[in-house]
Amino acid sequence: MAASAARTAVALRTNIRRPVAFVRKIPWTAASIFSSYTGELREHFSQFGHVRKCTVPFDKETGFHRGMGWIQFSSEEELHNALQQENHVIDGVKLHVQVQKPKALQGDQTSDEERGF
Amino acid sequence: MAALLRPARWLLRAGAAAHLPLSLRLLAGGPSRPHAAFCPHAARAGRVAGELLSQARLYAIAAEKKNYLQEEATSSHRRNTSQFDWALMRLDNSVRRTGRIPKTLLQKVFDNTCHSGSQGGNQALLLLRSCGSLLPELKLSERTEFAHRIWDKLQKLGTVYDVSHYNALLKVYLQNEYKFSPTDFLEKMEKANIQPNRVTYQRLIAAYCNMGDIEGASKILGFMKTKDLPVTEAVFSALVTGHARAGDMENAENILTVMKEAGIEPGPDTYLALLNAYAEKGDIDHVKQTLEKVEKSDLYLMDRDILQIIFSFSKAGYPQYVSEILEKITYERRYIPDTMNLILLLVTEKLEDTALQILLACPISREDSLSDFGSFFLRHCVTMNTPAEKLKDYCKKLKEAQMHTSPFQFTLHCALLAKNMDLAKALMKALKEEGFPIRTHYFWPLLVGHQKEKNVQGIVEVLKEMHEIGVTPDQETYINYVFPCFDSVKSVRAILQENGCLHEDSIFSQAELRIEAVNGNLDYILSFLESNTLPFSFASLRGSLILGFRRSMNINLWSKITELLYKDGRYCQEPPGPTEAVGYFLYNLIDSMSDSEVQAKEERLRQYFHQLMEMNVKIPENIYRGIRNLLDSCHVPELIKDVNMLVEREKTDSRKTAQPTSSDLESKLEKLKTENQPIGDVLKQLILMLCSEENMHKALELKAKYESDMVIGGYASLINLCCRHDNAEEALNLKREFDRLDSSAVLDTSKYVRLVKVLGKHGKLQDAINILKEMKEKDVLIKDATVLSFFHILNGAALRGETETVKQLHEAIVTLGLAKPSTALSSPLVTLYLEKDDLPTALEVTIDCYKKYKILPRIHDVLCKLIEKGETDLIQKAMDFVSQEQGEMTMLYDLFFAFLQTGNYKEAKKIIETPGIRARPTRLQWFCDRCIASNQVETLEKLVELTQKLFECDRDQLYYSLLKLYKVNGDWQRADAVWNKMQEENIIPRGRTLRLLAEILRNSNQEVPFDVPELWYEDEKHSLTSSPSPVEVSLQKELLNACHRKKDKDAFNIFLKAKKQNVVFNSETYAGLINLLLTKDNPTQAVQVKDFAETHIKGFTLNDAANSRLIIAQVRRDYLKAVHLEVG
Repeated sequence: MAASAARTAVALRTNIRRPVAFVRKIPWTAASIFSSYTGELREHFSQFGHVRKCTVPFDKETGFHRGMGWIQFSSEEELHNALQQENHVIDGVKLHVQVQKPKALQGDQTSDEERGF
Repeated sequence: MAALLRPARWLLRAGAAAHLPLSLRLLAGGPSRPHAAFCPHAARAGRVAGELLSQARLYAIAAEKKNYLQEEATSSHRRNTSQFDWALMRLDNSVRRTGRIPKTLLQKVFDNTCHSGSQGGNQALLLLRSCGSLLPELKLSERTEFAHRIWDKLQKLGTVYDVSHYNALLKVYLQNEYKFSPTDFLEKMEKANIQPNRVTYQRLIAAYCNMGDIEGASKILGFMKTKDLPVTEAVFSALVTGHARAGDMENAENILTVMKEAGIEPGPDTYLALLNAYAEKGDIDHVKQTLEKVEKSDLYLMDRDILQIIFSFSKAGYPQYVSEILEKITYERRYIPDTMNLILLLVTEKLEDTALQILLACPISREDSLSDFGSFFLRHCVTMNTPAEKLKDYCKKLKEAQMHTSPFQFTLHCALLAKNMDLAKALMKALKEEGFPIRTHYFWPLLVGHQKEKNVQGIVEVLKEMHEIGVTPDQETYINYVFPCFDSVKSVRAILQENGCLHEDSIFSQAELRIEAVNGNLDYILSFLESNTLPFSFASLRGSLILGFRRSMNINLWSKITELLYKDGRYCQEPPGPTEAVGYFLYNLIDSMSDSEVQAKEERLRQYFHQLMEMNVKIPENIYRGIRNLLDSCHVPELIKDVNMLVEREKTDSRKTAQPTSSDLESKLEKLKTENQPIGDVLKQLILMLCSEENMHKALELKAKYESDMVIGGYASLINLCCRHDNAEEALNLKREFDRLDSSAVLDTSKYVRLVKVLGKHGKLQDAINILKEMKEKDVLIKDATVLSFFHILNGAALRGETETVKQLHEAIVTLGLAKPSTALSSPLVTLYLEKDDLPTALEVTIDCYKKYKILPRIHDVLCKLIEKGETDLIQKAMDFVSQEQGEMTMLYDLFFAFLQTGNYKEAKKIIETPGIRARPTRLQWFCDRCIASNQVETLEKLVELTQKLFECDRDQLYYSLLKLYKVNGDWQRADAVWNKMQEENIIPRGRTLRLLAEILRNSNQEVPFDVPELWYEDEKHSLTSSPSPVEVSLQKELLNACHRKKDKDAFNIFLKAKKQNVVFNSETYAGLINLLLTKDNPTQAVQVKDFAETHIKGFTLNDAANSRLIIAQVRRDYLKAVHLEVG
């Protein structure tokens, strides 16, 4: 019972602010790292610093990605460098690059749920 | 002279210009002409767009005004209006931007209208009007079919058509060159008791004229005459077309003279009719002459008119004249959408070459090298199956013209979306020739297509194609797109080998390994890694291995695999080396788990870390710090020391030579001290380092030694260290020293919270409260995470049974306003007594919380315990309180859930069958989610079972939750049983339910026994199958009419009458009536209708809107009868 009480208070992980760029309008021809090759996105963003992580999720229902992805740099400075550059072009397509906003902290979720109404 | 000219002349003599009393007798004498070849007449496509919108806007305003006037203007009206506005806006935007409406958008708006529960005439009009030239991507016949579908469906749903709808339908017929009998059409209108108006006649004349049937047109003119209707320019323009199509150009020309004589100046429309007529004949000379004539007059042809002429030429087979006419176009910006519309229409008509010609002539600004124009053309070419050779040529030309930067890639995208393998193949070859790389993921959409159908042969073909073009499938290709097509991973290898498309064995093996890892098959992983001889990257396996670890609970295997990866020369040997790789692995493993998962697996993780330590596995210090932060945020800091054992210290020191070790710093400190130099900085650095090494003893020693040189930062870090080591005494001392140093200094929120936790834990309540007060005074930032930490502090104390700690800290937190009282935050107050099995006090505290804060923490758990112990009196007390404060329904649900939770299903059943109880979706969902979170399969199954007859229960939603739980457990058998149960219950599953079910089945390699819907639309499944009798039809019509006129009493009486005669209408009729009754605030009658419908139509359901309105109405009327309950 105590465990269930603990469970109801949905634990949340403090969002450690990481230097992440959110990229939109990625052309379908480009992709992130796979086992076989580095990926255009990582290559492009490597010019601004060390890319720790580069994710472009694919939709397994369609076989295409959804045109957006996340680039995690090693430092804020590198992220800043990337954001400073006005145009990011991959395969002739201009990307939209912005800072990833920290996820909204969802705290005390259960306060109202417990009672339903 | 043609038949129509004669009466016209006659009329002129009579001197009547506006009203033309034509005699039927005269008209009848006209010769009948053979139908001319059927030629296009894409009735001024562009103009329609504007017309549609301006009219629709008028309707919107009209609808709003009507609302305003109606006294009982209810939300439903407003909803309709806003719904209509929404639809209008979507369509409007589309036409503005692109000159057209995509079919999918129209379908969406249509479905939405059907769903909305009440379909107004204006929505119907808007939809019908959109089915003509605004759909250039559809073949003419498909457009008309679409219009008919809309017409029939809306009629069935109770939309009452007026003459505007019939006219709109006529316009669509004209635009789509649909062949129909105008007389039949008139008859149809007559049957519906709709009076044709001038526009109707005009359009019917145009219909005859488009077929070159002058005689027919004359007949209609006759009708018009009997009605004394004026003949307008539109009629004359139609006659121009009519004569021309009848092959009589001379008379077509003559119409213009007749018009002038009748006092009507030929306008652009008439000239356009003439121009189109010449264009259809390929008569460029006359076209040019006429154009000159127009130019000389003060008339003005717009670009969209010129485009029309171009279409006529090309459709009639004279593309050679297109360029000459193109020169006349001024390319005003606002006509770009019209041009796009024409280009698409040409492609639909298989006149792609002309379409390209027009496209290339578009003056698109080429300054911004990154903007593309022409995608719409390429996409539509792919849809219309334009041959690959042609498309390649188009791409080349668009690129040369710098109109499109990547036409090949774009077209390939379209081809892949359309799963057109041959076209995709051709385009990829072309791309390769152009020097572009062909990437592995280009083939994925093709594989997806085959994978969905489990088409092994198709998969094999794509793989062969990849090989041919020189692309090697990577692991992702195998894992995500190839394996799911096969029943077992093992069979894949055999089949691929058999077909000669297994070229890179090592990639395949690794993919195989990853899928086994994901499935938690750790034995396989271990034996593979032991016997493997291939080069292999640990990083690529990391993600799958983490999933596998979390699925398997065999810690020995976890450790063995980790050890192997760490120590074996085949793995992790490249830089950055095994320490780093395993460190990251551990970090990611913990990071991938939820807080509660980490908490639940705390012991297992500890065991794992200890085994790793015994195996002498090391991780770098920086990664350790990351893991430490993770564990901290998961609220299991107790694991930190266990991970700390794995830190590789010596190596850190030797590698990072730039960073001095603690002993370096210490000697430096001594040196500075002896030299009498300031030591503050070095001291702080050293303290921080010792803190990160968790060396409390040494750090405190150092502090004592150099107390006078301590700074704020050093203290903060020391305080935190002592808290971590559970040393309340020292932490408090340090805090005091900290305050003495600078009373205004503020600690981080997390450090304050830690202090509170440690002080509370060691019974230093007043000190803890003082810290809380300080937080308030210094206005420390309280985040959601802070509130959560408060909860954990209180909860921890409650579990240890520290009553005073919980009470006082809670009181302080709430009174100080550091956090608002919530069910979660206050639950430890109750937990205290639940843990001690002191149920009366637990209940009292809960009730007390309600009195103080209007919350009822842990009432569910309290009830469960009361039931378990059979505390009848207390249950009664709880129930009395809840029903008094929150209503009986809430109380019933509380009791229901408690009985379910405690396995008292019989009692639960009794509760949920209480008369008058109805579904409360949020509460049901809350319980479902709870069951899913704690994996209570039986409880959830019982919930679903017992609520089967619950009033207004969203069965699909409950089954969806059940499926979610089955998915977690991978239990496809039970999921499959759900599919059957839903059919038994006559539930129509939503699309997402079917998709989830399909996913579960597919994950277990089971066949999916139904079409997985992309989107689910409510369709005519409810309507009656047998054809209704005339009595039924007339009664139903009466009822619909009454509903339409909002005569609720009449409508209800008709319903009663029909009921007496045992006449059953279709479900839409009942839905409409219920809607009306609800609008008129008549829920009792609405329920009566609903009950009848439910007992007479299988699977009758109200839509969501009506349902919620019914509930609202009933709640308002306090429909709920008091329910007496005995428990025990």
